[in-house]
Amino acid sequence: MRNPFLDFRSLPYEKKEIPLDRIVRAKQEIMDRVLEGYLHLVEEEVKDLVWLVEHSHVVRTYSAAVNCIRELHYDQDDIEEFCAELDSAKKIPYMISGPAGIYLSALINHAPEERIVLRPKDYDRTFHFLGYRLPESKTLIIQGNVGDFIGAGLSGGRLVVEGSVGNWCGAGMMNGEILVTGYAGQKTGEWMRGGEIHVDGSIGSLGRSRFGGKIYQRGKLVIPQELDDQY
Amino acid sequence: MNAEVNGALREKVREIYRHIQDNLYFNRPDMEVKGEAFNAGLLMGLLTGLSQGKELIIGEPGLGKTTSAEYICTLLYRIPLGTIWGSEVPGHPEQTEEKIIGRPDLGKLNQGEEVVVWSHFALLPVKIVDEINRLPETKQSMILDGVDRGNWEYLNDAIINREYCLFATANYQDRGTNTIIAPLIDRFDVMVESKHPGPNLAYLIGAQGPNGAALRHEELEGEFQRVMSERLPYQVRMERIGEICDRFGEALAREAGIESLSEEDRQTIRSQKEEIPLELDFNAFLRFVLAELSFCCRYGQKRSHEGCEEGCHFTEYLCNTVRNCVSNRLPISARNFAQTLAWLLGDEKVGLEHLKAVLPFTLAHRIQWKDEIVAQREKEARSDPLEIYMAKQAVREMHRRYMEQGTQVKSALAVACRIMDGASMEPIQGDHPIYWEIRKDLGEEVFKE
Repeated sequence: MRNPFLDFRSLPYEKKEIPLDRIVRAKQEIMDRVLEGYLHLVEEEVKDLVWLVEHSHVVRTYSAAVNCIRELHYDQDDIEEFCAELDSAKKIPYMISGPAGIYLSALINHAPEERIVLRPKDYDRTFHFLGYRLPESKTLIIQGNVGDFIGAGLSGGRLVVEGSVGNWCGAGMMNGEILVTGYAGQKTGEWMRGGEIHVDGSIGSLGRSRFGGKIYQRGKLVIPQELDDQY
Repeated sequence: MNAEVNGALREKVREIYRHIQDNLYFNRPDMEVKGEAFNAGLLMGLLTGLSQGKELIIGEPGLGKTTSAEYICTLLYRIPLGTIWGSEVPGHPEQTEEKIIGRPDLGKLNQGEEVVVWSHFALLPVKIVDEINRLPETKQSMILDGVDRGNWEYLNDAIINREYCLFATANYQDRGTNTIIAPLIDRFDVMVESKHPGPNLAYLIGAQGPNGAALRHEELEGEFQRVMSERLPYQVRMERIGEICDRFGEALAREAGIESLSEEDRQTIRSQKEEIPLELDFNAFLRFVLAELSFCCRYGQKRSHEGCEEGCHFTEYLCNTVRNCVSNRLPISARNFAQTLAWLLGDEKVGLEHLKAVLPFTLAHRIQWKDEIVAQREKEARSDPLEIYMAKQAVREMHRRYMEQGTQVKSALAVACRIMDGASMEPIQGDHPIYWEIRKDLGEEVFKE
């Protein structure tokens, strides 16, 4: 076919972008880096694609996650999009619940927003470790049911779960508040050192090793009971 | 020297325009090109005569459709008014090929010879068809080839006009008119309306009375008649006609002080205007327009019997408002008229302004709008007939879009050129149909079957 564009051969060209293109590309770059950070974390921390929930392991994974996102500029929308990516797993070759939740928690804890809302009810996957080490001045609202270790190591933040949580909710939490509108699973408040857990529904069982903090069920203090008895 | 000749010829043509405007065809200026006011009917008529175009003039009876064409032809081609009147073809249901094109020489036929007596309409370089839409649809096809190429055939003989322009007038629809068939209407380069001049100019027309007397010359009209009736080869006859035309031109200048153009002048003008380069914006904008008027994401191109798909993405573009696909004659008309306009204005390049000025008139008769679009727009306040008004609005819309993304469109065309030359690049993408058409030209399957 004859080249119908010959008149434009000597014309220098430029690819002009409309603002939307730029925004989309910037968003995509952020998401690519967030995903890259996650994959890096998985490669480093989960070499055998098996990840055991051990205190030292969790702490190390969280530190690695924080390192991965250190220079990222992202916001709540990017966190939500990452959740969606985790859920659909289109770009993620392996999704391992523990590190994924810890990585998400690192993203939440270092996000610029003080109040973050996540909607796990929109996703098929169960997220664990959400709210891990949630710091003071942060509020995380989770709409939907979530998995285990929710609010583990909570460090002064406020975690509201509009749904139910799995086992070990608030495990090892230091300070802050967890509100659960649904039920909580086994060993709620295990290794808890401070702060409060409020559960509106039933609690499967309470953690046996506790070093402080309070647990309320339907507004009634259930742990520590001796304090409740004093009043 | 060239510039001097150019300037002198341009001044001559402008003088013809002024003379007709001031003395023969009174009408208001109704368009502006690069800050200069013109009457669209007169300007397009002049461009038609200069560029060997074809013009359809619409309007109410008695508003100067035929008259304006006659004056333009007289002064641009140096043919006396009386001769032009004699060569006009009136449109009516009983019209025949023998009256329009030619007839057998009955004397020769009796002797067993087939000799064609060509009509003055077929012979003369200026052709006027009066009330063309009174020709029945079946008879309109008789003049298709002649209108398109100046190629007239009768029996086993044919003549090809070496130079010609055509003006046809059409009344608005009434009981005596017919639809102009699509292939015929597409052959017109432009469509204009001969408007009412307003009561004040109309009063002057009445007070002044018939004003074409200076353009008549009975003696030379007789000579025209004689030469055209001679049984001589076409070329010889045309040379003799050319000589009489020049004598008429001299008589016009001597007796009435009116300038007119010789055949040499016209040829010079045509070669000069052909040399005026087209700006890249002209080039890109015309492609942009053609894309909007031919694109269909669903069926590959517009087709008049296929409608748009429900929920089509391209609702913001003209492809969604028109029924038919624009023909390949549109870019020819647009380039020809824009180039002639640039010549008339003395511009060194043909640019967007020239294209914008002529496009509505090249589009008005070629676009078939969807009924619902016509219903939406027909009651809008306007000063043009609906077809021209809608074409002007369409050009304005497309121009606005082009101004927003012209640089990007040109870049897309530049990148496409490099890709076609073998460069490994990604075509520039965008929403406008032109980007999709570029990708199709590059061999991409943009819409999967």
